[in-house]
Amino acid sequence: MAVPFPSEAFFQALAAAMAQAHDRFRALGFFDATIGIGVLPDAADGDARLFVLAFEVFECTRAQEVASLAPSDVDVILEGKLGAWREMFENIRANGAADVAHSINTLTHFGETLTLRYDDPDGHDKLYRFAESVQQFFDLAATLDGVTYEAAPRRTAPAA
Amino acid sequence: MSYLSTKDFLDDKDFVDRWQYTLRSGELDLSWMRAATKDAVCAPQNARRGLTFRDLDVPGYGYSTMPDLARENRSFAPRGAEIPPGCPDLQAEVNRKSEVWAYNIESYYEEAMSRQWNATTDVPWADLAAAELPDDIARAYSQLLTFLTEVEMIATDVPAKWLGRLNADFFEVKNFMATQVMDEARHAEVFRKRALTTGYGLMRASPANEVNLKFLRDADSFSESSTTLHLQAEGMVLTLFRFSEYISPTDGDKKLFRLVMQDEARHVGYGMQHLKWILDHFPEKREIIHKHLDEAENFVFGGAYAVEVMEPFIILSGKGMKKENIEQGCRITAQFQVKQVEEYFERLEKCGLPERKDRSQLYKALELGHANLEAMGLRTH
Repeated sequence: MAVPFPSEAFFQALAAAMAQAHDRFRALGFFDATIGIGVLPDAADGDARLFVLAFEVFECTRAQEVASLAPSDVDVILEGKLGAWREMFENIRANGAADVAHSINTLTHFGETLTLRYDDPDGHDKLYRFAESVQQFFDLAATLDGVTYEAAPRRTAPAA
Repeated sequence: MSYLSTKDFLDDKDFVDRWQYTLRSGELDLSWMRAATKDAVCAPQNARRGLTFRDLDVPGYGYSTMPDLARENRSFAPRGAEIPPGCPDLQAEVNRKSEVWAYNIESYYEEAMSRQWNATTDVPWADLAAAELPDDIARAYSQLLTFLTEVEMIATDVPAKWLGRLNADFFEVKNFMATQVMDEARHAEVFRKRALTTGYGLMRASPANEVNLKFLRDADSFSESSTTLHLQAEGMVLTLFRFSEYISPTDGDKKLFRLVMQDEARHVGYGMQHLKWILDHFPEKREIIHKHLDEAENFVFGGAYAVEVMEPFIILSGKGMKKENIEQGCRITAQFQVKQVEEYFERLEKCGLPERKDRSQLYKALELGHANLEAMGLRTH
């Protein structure tokens, strides 16, 4: 069944796919980080959708929509317009994994497509300490039955 | 052979008699069973993670309660063991915990162990061998790989040099250093292998960087060495690896740089937590570290901005050597250089060294970098 993006269901589907791929993530090693996701509207008048992804040992232990998200709540926030996220996930689904132009590091490097926000450079560096795990987590979008990009209902969300 | 036993054991009649008597009679001494040590019961607090060093942080053995000055153990005796008379004085050069320790050192070690990878089998070499790169890109890439191999060779030597000089009580730090030696050796391996699969082999060594690397190796103390190796050099190399992933020509190269950046970021993490620890527990070191950074920053400016390092970046990021490629490459490389230095000062500030900006020549270079960006019509903050 297709899952809508952006939605809590989408990130929970990635978390479930990560659990299914336990051996692959175990081989990559401990993955302890909390990453915020900000999906900004393409148009100026829309609302942002915010999510928290918590990773512990080899699993994603929390994939939740939140009402507010500050850099101090997480290690680092990945933020970009819906169109940028959509292009990344469509690329991943078309190729089975991100191609050279769509890896997380490439999209965030100069903040042109996705932006990084953080309070603590140590938290920022976690994106690189766990770079391959982060990339393979997002690459799991290729394994989902389908992804739609119509606005999904917002879940009543707690603060981060 | 500089160290000799005080006796020839085979000529020691008492020793030989004791050995033979024990085996023939079965009469055991067993005095070691009464070692003056604590009993310990340790178990994983998180079964998914396994038994970690943090689980072993118990009275008599743990690192939390160890004194700052390691006065008692001069030998290889594992921390917590009874040290009987006769253990040699190894003359460790670093016997002060605050000189080497880092917040969460135990978890950096566990992370390092669980995230090891294999340069021979985890990189898609067959795909990379099949990828054909344009001549100018391949030459620039080979030059970058030559530089990176050089850098990683010294990064292997520096922690290896300090390993045997640290008191055995600093077990967790020594083990982390051992993982770093393996990480850096693997980086030198993977960059050499990649250079030799581009079809162009290695290019030219970098004198400007070698003098910088020599300075790194020859630091007077562990904390000076760590601040420049882990925090300054590896911090800048981490930004460089991310930039290299950004400009990598193939999926396989992207993966290669993601794997090396993981290790590098972990070393930077140790460096940050170590500098915080020093400033919190050994504040007299602050000025010594500043003095060391004064010269380290001079070396790093000369090394990182040398033509044999900077020009490959320009060609790779501009994707060629036509005029428009070079112009684009200069813009991207100028942004990278500013980012690299900004992140360095960001980390120092977070560690508790915010005043570094005020006395740093490199910070003045950053201001010049911002002027370059402004002249190019790019962001300056």
